[in-house]
Amino acid sequence: MTGRARRFERLYRGALLIFPRQFRDRFADEMTDLAHLRLEDARAHGAHAFAREAAHLVADLLASAPREWIRHARDGRAERKQAIADGTLPRDNMDILIQDLRFAARGLMRHRAFTIVAALTLALGIGANTAIFSVVNAVLLRPLGYPNPDRLVVVYGMQGTQGREGLVFPDYLEWRAQNRTFEDIGVFRGQSVNFTGGDTPQRVVGSFVSASYMRITGATAGQGRIFTDAETEIATKAPVAVLSYDGWQARFGGDPSVIGKTLVLNGQAHTVVGITKQGVQAPFGVPDVFLPIPYYPNASGLQRGNRGMLAVGLLKPGVAIETGERDLKALAKQQEDLFPTTNKGFGVELQPLKDQIVGTSRTPIYIVFGAAIVVLLIACANVANLQLARGSARYRELSVRAALGADRGRIAQQLLTESTLLSLMGGAAGVGLAIVGTKSLRTALTNVLPVNGTITVDGVALAFATVVSLAAGILFGVAPAWKASRTNVHDMLRSRSSGNGLGHTATRNALVVVQLALSLTLLACAGLLTRSLIELQRVNTGFDTKNLMTMQFRLPAVKYDTPDKIWAMFDRAIAEIRTVPGVQSAALVRAFPLTGNGESYPVIIEGRPPATAGDAPQLQVNSITPEYFSTMKIPRVSGRDISTSDTKDAVPVIVINQEFAAKAWPNQSPLGKRLQVTGDDRWWTVVGVVGNTKHFQLNEPQILQGYIPHAQRPQIFTTLAVRGVEDPLPLTNAIRAAIWRVDKDQPVWGVASMDQILDGVIGSPRLIVRLTAGFAIVALLLGAIGIYGVLSYTMAQRTNEVGIRVALGADSRQVVRLVVAEGMRIVAIAVAIGLAASLASTRLLQSQLFGVGPTDVITFSVVTAILAVVAILACYIPARRASRVDPMVALRTD
Amino acid sequence: MPLTPVVLHILLALADGERHGYAIAQEVEATTGAQIRMGPGTLYGSIQRMLSAKLIEEATTRRRSAGDDERRRYYRMTATGRRTLDLELQRLASVVDAARSKQLLRGPSIA
Repeated sequence: MTGRARRFERLYRGALLIFPRQFRDRFADEMTDLAHLRLEDARAHGAHAFAREAAHLVADLLASAPREWIRHARDGRAERKQAIADGTLPRDNMDILIQDLRFAARGLMRHRAFTIVAALTLALGIGANTAIFSVVNAVLLRPLGYPNPDRLVVVYGMQGTQGREGLVFPDYLEWRAQNRTFEDIGVFRGQSVNFTGGDTPQRVVGSFVSASYMRITGATAGQGRIFTDAETEIATKAPVAVLSYDGWQARFGGDPSVIGKTLVLNGQAHTVVGITKQGVQAPFGVPDVFLPIPYYPNASGLQRGNRGMLAVGLLKPGVAIETGERDLKALAKQQEDLFPTTNKGFGVELQPLKDQIVGTSRTPIYIVFGAAIVVLLIACANVANLQLARGSARYRELSVRAALGADRGRIAQQLLTESTLLSLMGGAAGVGLAIVGTKSLRTALTNVLPVNGTITVDGVALAFATVVSLAAGILFGVAPAWKASRTNVHDMLRSRSSGNGLGHTATRNALVVVQLALSLTLLACAGLLTRSLIELQRVNTGFDTKNLMTMQFRLPAVKYDTPDKIWAMFDRAIAEIRTVPGVQSAALVRAFPLTGNGESYPVIIEGRPPATAGDAPQLQVNSITPEYFSTMKIPRVSGRDISTSDTKDAVPVIVINQEFAAKAWPNQSPLGKRLQVTGDDRWWTVVGVVGNTKHFQLNEPQILQGYIPHAQRPQIFTTLAVRGVEDPLPLTNAIRAAIWRVDKDQPVWGVASMDQILDGVIGSPRLIVRLTAGFAIVALLLGAIGIYGVLSYTMAQRTNEVGIRVALGADSRQVVRLVVAEGMRIVAIAVAIGLAASLASTRLLQSQLFGVGPTDVITFSVVTAILAVVAILACYIPARRASRVDPMVALRTD
Repeated sequence: MPLTPVVLHILLALADGERHGYAIAQEVEATTGAQIRMGPGTLYGSIQRMLSAKLIEEATTRRRSAGDDERRRYYRMTATGRRTLDLELQRLASVVDAARSKQLLRGPSIA
């Protein structure tokens, strides 16, 4: 045959693919032969005849192929009908499914070990996903328990680009009256309220609100009524109160007679007019008691210039959030024009309530969810591998069925049914794991996440688990099913159960590479998060955190209405507290570090031009009593401490931190320099410099800090700093009693040791690290099992070869090296892919990292080493086994 | 039921004995004066239909001569095939007779 003839043959055979397979199998040879002879004949008659014949052949194929397909379909239907009539084929899809399920159940029962291992692997993956999904659902998905949650927005003030602030009360009144896009806007200020008249003075959580706030957040009355609009207006100022259901239960034991009674709140009598329905939510936390906004105890809080109002708006139906924002921005501009001194550059920004509530938890949740998904993918790869290994054992079973007439599609369908059944079993076990998991994680998660409702495996989570199980079943079932459906019956029957080609091993190796690469990526993420946590825990707070505790109290403004009265109370209280046995030292500080309290003001330095509003240095100003620095063990750098001689009539003094000293007076002593704090026209003289401390967060850069004497600026809210000789927490009651010796009606709350506070600060990152690391370890183990499995399998295949090697004098070390080298090739590819994937994915962690970059070389090296060591161990077991092969046995077996 | 021209001519081609595909195609082309030129698709499509209708069958014993391609299969007419051909030819003959009696057919008589 000439080369041209061969080329033609190949071409023509290719073209025959457009015919049904059965027809092709039967006639391809003859057709090609005929076409070939035809063309040879035509060639003898010249190029023209040859071209015509070629065209004729093409036309012939195109015309006859559809005919054969039609015939094929008709025959297929007829055959099927006949088979159904004969009872050899199931009647309909339901019959097929039941038949497949019966086969599948029988198959799984027969291979119990496989079934258990596979189902448990899947249970781990599906369980992890279901548990984390329950968290995702409770935090991110579940609709908020408010009426019209999609239209609720938080209204923030914005000063330039400096970030969000609260609203100004008079601005709010204007906006509420003039806007065209909101159904209503409500305001709220939260603050603790002193409740007296009971056995002991209590601090209850109060919300000072407008009636509109209660209405749009759905705070309806279960008994009595909520406020009327008139009651929350400044002009009316009705002394009424509404208890929240929880507050009513906690403070009054659910006593219904409380309605109509009078309670002394912040030293003033209020009549209880209603109790909210059970389950009522509030965007910024459910208080014990709602009070009309005019009763907000700091009178200045309602005046122009004070930006402390939190506002919630209900957009009109169909109004986009941007439209609402434009509307309010126009109104803000009007206010700016009218009141340039207080409102210069003061704008507005809207945020969906949902986003406000979820806040910064979205990213950590997605990270953990991502980790869980990776675990599931690895689990699927593992089960796919198990199935492929088992597929070889089942090879003959399948071939017999194929030989008896089962078509390939049916065999594939059968295998898919089996994998789906398996994954549903895994899913059921996984849901069990998830229920146990969410129960044990519930408390820890609820403490650090904005959970809406309860974290529980509910209907939505169950639906999720089902979908994931089915998807997993298809994912790990497709490869084996595809393999089975493509195998030729003839080859199947001819082959021995042990040998079925290199292609098979390649698929399995590829699956292991994927597993190990995913494990490495997850390890890298967990590693970086762990490093961040360690760095966070190693942060120097700037003070000694051992044996330190705090508690808070707020004096009622009505009773302590002058600075002198406030200071007298503070002075006596601290003196009493110092007498408590076990207290080493004590001081008052307005804002105790890491409790979230604290205020910052723009400062003006004497002799320097005042900076524009946005540029002025922001100084965190704290009021303290003498001995604060020694109690906290904050080191003094230069100058002096705040002392008892810094009274209200003495020269106003301030102690600043090193950071501020270095920024404001580089290369010179700040001592004796003077500065002004916005909102207070006195000049404060710098008398000392102390070390920097972390105030709001552990991961904050050093902030500018200033400490002024409590005596020179007494305010009704303060916290206590106590250092005990030992752990001071047991002294709580003695310290409380000391305060009550000064004022028996003064409630005290917020008792916490510094260790507890740090726990709270680190709690969220620690939980993320634990979960991610836990998933990474599971992933690593699954990956190790994967490579162990694939090597055991290939070694079983190569028993013969190893036997020959041993017979020819290879010692066991060489055999081990051979096998481990094989494993290491897989590991090397996986590491390369895994590192690339890690580099791509750790960038997503950026916002959660502290003190370590997303491509940290040390972390990447360590996790790669961990993966390599575990993988080598996993390779070593099959290697040892292979090295013990008795050549005589090995050579006889096949 | 009338046979399609292709089927009829294949049967005619096999009337003298078994033939392989190429030979059938050549014979048909010769007897029809190249009126019917069957491509491989048409030929084997018809052969398949005729096989399943049991008009023809594959020859189990076949003469081998030098140059015979061993891929080549030979087909021969079955008894059913022969009967069908007879019936068809009778039908055609009666059609031709009828046409002639109406003087529709020109040309030499074959009688």
